[in-house]
Amino acid sequence: MDEKIFAKKDIGKLLEELVPEYKFYAPTKIKGNIAFKEITDVKEIELDYLNSKVPPKDVLFPQKEIIFEYKYEGKDVIIEERKDLEDKILIFGVRPCDAYSFKLLEDFFASGDFQDDIFLKKRENATIIGLGCNTPRQSCFCTSVGGHPFQKESTDVYLSDLGDIFLVEAISDKGKSLVKKLTWLSDAKKADVDKAKDLAKQAEESITTKFNFDLVTKVLDENFEHPVWQEISESCIGCSSCTFLCPTCTCFDVIDENDEYNNRGRRIRIWDTCQSCLYTLETSGHNPRPAKIQRCRNRIMHKFSYYPSNYDCLGCVGCGRCITACPVNNELRLIIDKILEIEEKSGEKVSA
Amino acid sequence: MVKSMGLETENKEIENNLREIARGLLKEKKVDVIIGYMEGTLPLLSQPIIIDSEEDVEKLIWNNLCYVNLAKYLVPRVPKFVNPEKGNLTVGVISKGCVGRGLIHLASENKINLDEIKIIGIPCNGVVNRQRIEMEIGEKEILEVSVFGDNIIVKGKDFEREFPYDEYMNDLCKTCKIRKPPLVSKSLDLCVGECEEYSNIVDDFSDISEFEALTPEEKWNQITEELSVCTRCYACREACPMCYCNLCFVDQNKPVWFGKTTDLPDVFVYHLIRAMHMAGRCVACGACSLVCPMGIDLNKINRKLEKIVKERFDFTSGLDPDVLPPMVDFKLEDAQEFALEED
Amino acid sequence: MTEPSVETKQSKNKEWEPKIIAFLCNWCSYAGADLAGVSRIQDPPNIRIVRVPCSGRINAYFIIKSLTDGWDGVLVSGCHPGDCHYISGNLVARRRFAILKELLEFFGIEPGRVNFMWASAAEGMRFAVLVRKATEIVKKLGQNKKFEKKW
Repeated sequence: MDEKIFAKKDIGKLLEELVPEYKFYAPTKIKGNIAFKEITDVKEIELDYLNSKVPPKDVLFPQKEIIFEYKYEGKDVIIEERKDLEDKILIFGVRPCDAYSFKLLEDFFASGDFQDDIFLKKRENATIIGLGCNTPRQSCFCTSVGGHPFQKESTDVYLSDLGDIFLVEAISDKGKSLVKKLTWLSDAKKADVDKAKDLAKQAEESITTKFNFDLVTKVLDENFEHPVWQEISESCIGCSSCTFLCPTCTCFDVIDENDEYNNRGRRIRIWDTCQSCLYTLETSGHNPRPAKIQRCRNRIMHKFSYYPSNYDCLGCVGCGRCITACPVNNELRLIIDKILEIEEKSGEKVSA
Repeated sequence: MVKSMGLETENKEIENNLREIARGLLKEKKVDVIIGYMEGTLPLLSQPIIIDSEEDVEKLIWNNLCYVNLAKYLVPRVPKFVNPEKGNLTVGVISKGCVGRGLIHLASENKINLDEIKIIGIPCNGVVNRQRIEMEIGEKEILEVSVFGDNIIVKGKDFEREFPYDEYMNDLCKTCKIRKPPLVSKSLDLCVGECEEYSNIVDDFSDISEFEALTPEEKWNQITEELSVCTRCYACREACPMCYCNLCFVDQNKPVWFGKTTDLPDVFVYHLIRAMHMAGRCVACGACSLVCPMGIDLNKINRKLEKIVKERFDFTSGLDPDVLPPMVDFKLEDAQEFALEED
Repeated sequence: MTEPSVETKQSKNKEWEPKIIAFLCNWCSYAGADLAGVSRIQDPPNIRIVRVPCSGRINAYFIIKSLTDGWDGVLVSGCHPGDCHYISGNLVARRRFAILKELLEFFGIEPGRVNFMWASAAEGMRFAVLVRKATEIVKKLGQNKKFEKKW
């Protein structure tokens, strides 16, 4: 049997074996929030979690990332490229929705004429160990965006949480060679595999939020100027919590930091958000998205209309972070309902 | 505050009263629209709602989850508050104490015309410290939140926990002295419902004295630890009724004043200067902390600001629209003990 | 640029001296500094002067930006309250400084990092004495490293 198992208490062993080779990222608790951080001590790893507050995308696409550094030597400017891009990264315990988000990020960063070397290099050197999601939340809707709480896509090694043990499945070539190296893993029994299947089924059934996104995309394409956007953006305060906690948001701003006293500087990129007024502000002073209505619309259109037409997939993984993060409860489920209402109403009109 | 009845009866009573007033105002056409709170779709949340017809009045609620300061929606006015032909509509605002204070303070900064609003005062009994409850529940999903007696009951799939409300109230609500919106004696018809006149508010600020007694090093460590998780999403700024600048100082790029990264110095400076801008203006609604997606607690800073302006300038924000805010005013005899003097 | 070299440099050059940025108002304190100079009153060379039209011009940004840029101390000086060239500039500024001073302390910045003073154009002596005092305070606090960015 291809599947392996290891006991949860052996996680230290795993860490010990992999840390010399990889930068080992795992969920850990920071000020009460789960976050993916580089781990060296097994005690830091938190295995009992629903999902991280900030998605694991920030391992490969951190909020602040140095593109290059420069320094002056006499009259010369010397540019120093990043040297740590070749480091091997391992991200442990990524939920299937977040694992799938890496595929969407890759789509974005690799598409078009310009390849984002930094992200793609990191992605290439990253091994993702997925972890099945036994307890989806009320706000989760991964099944509606083509995902599944036990989806294995985009992971290299896939784990299922069976209580005291993890069921290990190697998915990609990278994953297979990794599992091969871990010789101490024991073979899985049929019962374990069946149990994982049962859990997957249970998890799928527990997801209650379901949408027909094909219809959403269609309605969105036709209703750019619909008055519903006014209604949707009404209570939004433009706080951008939704975009900052989104696993698929990719927008960034490039800024220079000068340390003039030490004759050096660096160019960095930081997350930007379409919910900020500065995002579309042009040098002339003109702002094509001057109000909340356009900004709210942009977020929804980007995920559910532009992504399908540009990359042929939805720009959403259904993790539900934006739903729980919204402080005024102007959440995605309500927004989608309102959008679908347009279709229902127009349907009624036709039939009447 | 003496609680004569359980929290749920108290809330029900507030809710019934505010609905009745709202219905009356809409019926008599004294207001065009009313902004209030409605039931949220998630436990531990409520949702702002704007209504303009009598039948929607039943949607208005009061529970202890109404965090957002509704004054935010008036500066600038959301499109629903403006009629393309008639201009500004008369807006009824369901106001807990801090919402009323926010409106009155904004009027003192000439951001709101009080003739165009009606403060529907309610005797607020505080809001829940959502983040604290979420932290204590930890990695379990909260499915239902209700109040019973003086407790908040949080239920999930396989757990049920009670939190004493007095303790799990938002920190600013614990020390709040202005639970009903202030009555402005000069424009009495501004307020309907329960408002109250305030004078000589006494506050000993004992809740922050412990922190103030720390050494600079200890304070620095505590504050930077608190701020270390900040993602610079600016939810605190966007939720704040006083943050209405068209271009915030952190967004200014001609010149760039302060860094935009999440490095500690940049984060620290953002919060320090935002605090500076809040001096004499903060109305202690606590929205900034309650909306923070990372659960950063800014209440201590807000309390300090309140303390400084109270002690130095004897000013409490949002009580009287005709009193100049302290930062645009001065007196020749202001204290200047901080200035260097020759020995 | 590395840490050790800075230390050796310091130990060679006797004592470490703080660098203080001083915002002086054009009408009183700057003239006071000038008077101290022409009267040959010795004051510490640690301050670097930025001349501003009035202490009311001094935004809290200037002070905080100076700290983040690595200045060891900030000194702000204007006309005596009541003597402002623009009548009330320094009175408005005084409230601002009072709040800034308290807030900085609350946020854990040592109280002596930022100092405020008043000195008129006729007070060369007072200017020199207070600058010396401010320099001593900052020197006691040592280098301002709290805002150093990781590089």
